[in-house]
Formats: sequence, structure tokens, C-alpha cells
Amino acid sequence: MIAFKQVRYLVPLLALIGLVWLIFGGSSTSKPNSPYTYKKIKKNDAIPRNLPADHISHYDLNKLASTPMAAYNKERVLILTPLAKFLDGYWDNLLKLSYPREQIELGFIVPRTADGDAALRKLEVAVKQVQNPKNTKEPKFAKVTILRQDNEALESQSEKDRHAFKIQKERRAQMAVARNSLLFTTIGPYTSWVLWLDADIVESPRTLIQDLVSHDKPVIAANCYQRYYDNDKKEDAIRPYDFNNWIESDEGLRIASTLGDDEIIVEGYAEIASYRPLMGHFYDPNGDVNTEMQLDGVGGTCLMVKADVHRDGAMFPSFPFYHLIETEGFAKMAKRLGYEVFGLPNYLVYHFNE
Amino acid sequence: MEAQLGSPKLFRHSTKPHKQRNYLYVGFVAVGLLIIGIAVYIVSAVLQTGDIFRYTPSFDPSSAQETVFYDLKDYMGHSDGWYRGDQILICVPLRDAADHLPMFFGHLRNMTYPHALMDLAFLVSDSSDDTMGTLKQHLEELQADKDPNMHFGQIEIYEKDFGQVIGQGFSDRHGFAAQGPRRQMMARARNWLSSVALKPYHSWVYWRDVDVETVAPTIIEDLMHHDKEVIVPNVWRPLPEWLGNQQPYDLNSWQESDGGLQLANSLDENAVIVEGYVEYATWRPHLAYLRDPYGDPDTEMVLDGIGGVSILSKAFVFKSGAHFPAFAFEKHAETEGFGKMCKRMGYSVIGLPHYVIWHIYEPSNDDLKHMEWMAQEETRQQREQSQQKQYDRVYQAGFLDVKENWDEEKPMILRNTDSSRGSRKIDVVWEDVDTFNAQPNSKLADFDPAV
Repeated sequence: MIAFKQVRYLVPLLALIGLVWLIFGGSSTSKPNSPYTYKKIKKNDAIPRNLPADHISHYDLNKLASTPMAAYNKERVLILTPLAKFLDGYWDNLLKLSYPREQIELGFIVPRTADGDAALRKLEVAVKQVQNPKNTKEPKFAKVTILRQDNEALESQSEKDRHAFKIQKERRAQMAVARNSLLFTTIGPYTSWVLWLDADIVESPRTLIQDLVSHDKPVIAANCYQRYYDNDKKEDAIRPYDFNNWIESDEGLRIASTLGDDEIIVEGYAEIASYRPLMGHFYDPNGDVNTEMQLDGVGGTCLMVKADVHRDGAMFPSFPFYHLIETEGFAKMAKRLGYEVFGLPNYLVYHFNE
Repeated sequence: MEAQLGSPKLFRHSTKPHKQRNYLYVGFVAVGLLIIGIAVYIVSAVLQTGDIFRYTPSFDPSSAQETVFYDLKDYMGHSDGWYRGDQILICVPLRDAADHLPMFFGHLRNMTYPHALMDLAFLVSDSSDDTMGTLKQHLEELQADKDPNMHFGQIEIYEKDFGQVIGQGFSDRHGFAAQGPRRQMMARARNWLSSVALKPYHSWVYWRDVDVETVAPTIIEDLMHHDKEVIVPNVWRPLPEWLGNQQPYDLNSWQESDGGLQLANSLDENAVIVEGYVEYATWRPHLAYLRDPYGDPDTEMVLDGIGGVSILSKAFVFKSGAHFPAFAFEKHAETEGFGKMCKRMGYSVIGLPHYVIWHIYEPSNDDLKHMEWMAQEETRQQREQSQQKQYDRVYQAGFLDVKENWDEEKPMILRNTDSSRGSRKIDVVWEDVDTFNAQPNSKLADFDPAV
């Protein structure tokens, strides 16, 4: 009888103890020389990663180089893609690239939205196909890093909304943060080149990487076009797509001088006519594919950057930098750091047509 | 009646079922509380980690080689990161630092932030001493320590030389002008270090110079609990007594002023304003000078430029692109430019005026000259003292000291020369003075006072 009574007392007591334990998580500890409370560290708390036995690794960055003979010199290329939606065309094109795959690292960042989740699911399937150890037919990428953005992205991504002038600044500021987050967490001690390739580039020459590095420029952009069906001429045609590759104009500078610190100029809108020469309009079907032109602003659709440029600090400003933002601001920052920026007007890559 | 009321048997009998119900009731309430508690726990966990309804893929070496997924929202940094298990990256730029490393590793061992949660990244550049050898030796000793709690997380050593600072010719006209290129070079080194070392799973980044002499072992927790994006302590240095015992060291932590903005507007695009030179009088309030030794160490001050001796920053600040400008960014470079850029990106930049860490004292050229003079003066005085002793001895041997006699005789002798102290009265008789002219044989000198 007495024992039974004690048990009945014990039930609520144990329940309360259990509650307290659940809420406060149990095993905390203190240290003699600190007023703070610490958690006892369990082995499985640690972030899983492959570390050498003594955890120490040594890298000589003096030996790191970015040369026009990148493939021959076994230089690592990091392909970075902000991925709002997963296009089979993009992935197929990526797999067709002829640069040695064991020297390619991939980095993706998906937005924190339902669209991002959908893209992530498709990407997971695609990656698991290529990187699967049982798949011995194909070579594997040296590394694949997939990130999810930390902040909520603007939900609407339809073609019309995406290009409305009013929300351009906010959208591109978020895109800049996404690009930087991807870049600065994936660029490593082996990375020689960084190729920015948008998720809607569905067609490019197979030798894209070799072609771009062969120019040996700190920053070089391909010309981004789009295939469409010309209803008037009743035939397939191409038209320029990326208008962020441009040369500064007097009118552009004049407009910039009238703007407040927090205002930006973006290309391709009637609201601001800067009369900047756009690389999109310099395509000559009969011209030399290796023709270079110096640029002041670049887009991120297909952009090859020597990793040193990024390591020196050239990033994608999420704030108006000389009235420029994101990739255009990046070109300005690279120039402030003393690097030259180029474009290839006759070297085309193709954007998906929605 | 008495028996009825007082009968313990009756009382017990009538209330027993009621008591049992009571226990059951308490039991139900406890179980209910437990369920509510679990629900609260889950809800709070959901709130803390954000949207758990997002899809999370799983990669392992059997399904996809060399593939990783991270949700960056899991690594935003908590104000109690030492308890939550926030991984922190410690960035340490090194240049000719072999002498300071033993002291630095002493501090590192003492740090109370869980060592396994600390990843170390070193950048060794342009060193002519054995910085690399000393560093490796200390690291290997540290990681071989018998106490597993002493071992750190990932440790990466990077080597990169940036070459000598160009444009020394500047300094002929303006000593401070050479600061620009020098600081831009240091900025590049910092950017290289953080860009290669930062991983998606880092929640915090702590920048630390090795030449800090005195610092609390809880430095990271002390800064972290403020929950700011960028935060720096006050940096002072001890001085020899003849220089006033202590002095503000880091003058790069300041708040922007109208004077500073005016100066910035008047300068060329590539000019870099450097604090602490008379050429650039900005009238900015400096964190260092606002220190009160008895002030609350948790007092915060909003800053615009910061120094690099000890910076704690949330990792997303660097992930989102903030860095140490190696060009003139709003007329500032390196850590001061970093402060400006963080402000531009909307992040909080905070300094703690009354929380102090102590930099080592390295004497300046003027100090060295003064110290040399002090040393010479000391030996001169010692030499003089010993000469004096010798002189005294010779004097005593060769001369008879009559000072005591003289002390005795002096008043006696002087008494006779002092008329005011004399007691004799002297009477002068003037009566025969008129008869002097009457003497017949006497003759006056040929002198007439009237002429």
C-alpha cells in the first residue's frame, strides 16, 4: 500500500522532471573561468566533414594560377548557378561541356520558396544520377555544393514581374546577396576560375570553358542571345537577351551625376535612356568569334572570372555602388581593384525562351 | 457524538475514494502539462529553425559522391552560440609573427568557447622569419594535447605573398599618404583569407591579431552575447611608467562626423582617409577615448569605421559580400572601409567603449630614442655617484675638517662685525670741532665748496 502510494506521487514528479528536461535540454556544464553555461559536446553534434587526423591542412596559394591553358594545367573551375527553376536544357548542356569534369566544382543556391523547393527536388535527382558511385559510365564532378538562401525571396518570378522597373532594385539586391553567399562559401584554395552560368542558359558551345579561359582576361562575358520564332518572317531567329553587358556613355555618366546616393541605373528600360552601347547589339554573324571588346558593365548569364578577382574582394554589390548594382556593380568594383573587363560580342550562348 | 466526529476510522473511510481521485487528477494534469510542454518545445524549435516545411534533400557518399547541402538559415548565428553549437571561424593574418605566436597560442588554449566549435584559418604572407615553422609546431602540439577538449575543429594554413608595398616614395611629402597602399595590401590579404576559409556552415567569424597581450578567455562569448552583426572591443596598450602607464591603441574605431564627411567630399576618388594623422582632422569621436575604467563593460556605441585587432562578426555578413575594400571605398580602405561597407549594407556596427583588451607595447622610434637617452642618463648618474664617493674619500684623507670649529666660532666672530647687535654705546664729543680752524698753523685745502 505504501509503495503504491509513493509510485502515485512519483508519476507527476517524474512528468515534471521530464518536462523540465525536455525544455532545457539537460546536460549543461559550466567552466571555472567563465560566467557562461555550456553544453556538453556529444560526438554526433559535430558538422560531418572529412578532416585529417590532426585536423591541420596546409595550402600554398602562391602556386595557384589561372592560365589560358587551364585544362592542360589541371586548373579547377567553379561553376556557380543561382537556381530558381531547374531546366533540363540547362543540365544537359552542363553535362555536355568538354572540360575535364574532375576539375569542375559545381555550386547552386536555391531561393527559400516553393519554386526553390521544386528546383531542389529536380536538382537532387539529377545530381544523384551523375554523382552516384554505381554510375561508372560518367566521370564525376569534383564537388557539388547546394545551398538554400537564408532569407525569403520575392515570391513572384514570372517574366513580366521580374522585369518591372520598380522592383528591379530590390530583386537584384537579393540576387546579389544570393550570388555572394554562393561565391564566398564555395570558393576554395584550389579554385582558379569561376564561371557564372545562369540556370536558363540552355545552349552553349561544348568548349565553353576552354574558349573563355583562352582569352586570359580577369573578367570576360559571352554574348547571351535567345532563340525565338519570328512570326513576321515565319522562321526561327535569334535576338539579344542580356543587356547588362555595356560600355559607359557620356549620357550614362550625366544621368548618374544627377542621381541620389541610393538610386541606380539599370539597362533596358525606357525610363532611363542612357544610350550606352550594349554588347548585345554588336553581334556580327560573319565576324571573328574571338573578337574582344572592353566593357564597363556585365551581366551574370555567362561570365568567366579569374578567382583572384573575387578573392581580392570584387563581389556583387547589393547596394548602389556608383549607381550600379549586382553584376554591373561587380564590373565597376573589379575595375576599381585594377582589373579589366571584357566581352565577346560574337561568342553566343542561348537563353531559354519562356 | 464525540466518538462519531473524532473517529479516525470513519474519517479515513469516507475520504479515501476522494483522495484517490485527487491523485488521478494530479496525474492527468501532469501528463497534460507534459504534452503541452512537448508541443511548446516543438513549436519553439520550429520558430527557431524557421520554416521546417521546406524540402531538404539528403546526400551521402552512397547516393552522391562529394555532394553537400546546407540551408544557410541554419547558420545565422545565435546570441548564445557557445551553447547552441554555432561553428565559428577564427581568421588570423600573420606576417613576421614568430615572436608573438607563443603568447597567442597561450590565449588560444585558454579560450572558453568550445574548441571543437572553433575552426582556425591562418594566412602567412611575406614573412622573413620562421612564422610558418613556429605556427606548425604550435598547432601540432595543440592538436596532440592529451585533453580532447583542447583540440580545435578544422585548421587551415594558407600561404600567399603579396609583395612589398609599392609607392614608398609617397612618404617623402606626406608620411600618412603611404598608409593608403599599405592598408590596401592588408585588405587584400584579409579578403583572400576569409574567402578561401569561409564555409557554408560557419555561423560566426572572429578576426584576431596575434599581438594582443591581455584578453579575457571569454572574449568570444563576451562579444557574441550582444547579438550584433559586427562588434569590436576597445583596444588599449600598456606603457612604461615614464609614458603614463597606458594609452589608447586602436584609433580606427570611430563614429562618422560632419567634419569627416566634409573632408571625404573634398578628396579625390582614390584618396584613403586614415585616422590618427593631423593631416586628416576629422573631429570624429573615437571609441578608444571614450573609455571609462569603471564603466559598464556592456555599454555599446554605434561605429562607422572599425579597427581589425579583434572583430566578431556574424558569418552572413561576409557571405553576403561585405569585405575589406582594397580600394578607396567611400574614401576608406581595409577595416575602416569594412565598417563603412557594413553600414551601407544595413548591418549594425558596434563598439564596446568600456570593455578593453590590451595590445602589446612596441616602442616607437621616438620612444626608442627616449629610452636610449634614459639608459645613458642612468649610467651617467651611476658614474657620477661612484666618482663622488671616491672624491669624498680623498678629501677626508687629505684635509682636516674644521667645519665644526667654524660652526662654533662663526657667531662669535660675526657678532663683532654686526653693529646692530652691539651693546656698547659710543658717545661722540663734537665740542672742539670749531676750534680746529682757529689753530694758526693749520691750512685748509684749496677747496671752496661754493664754486
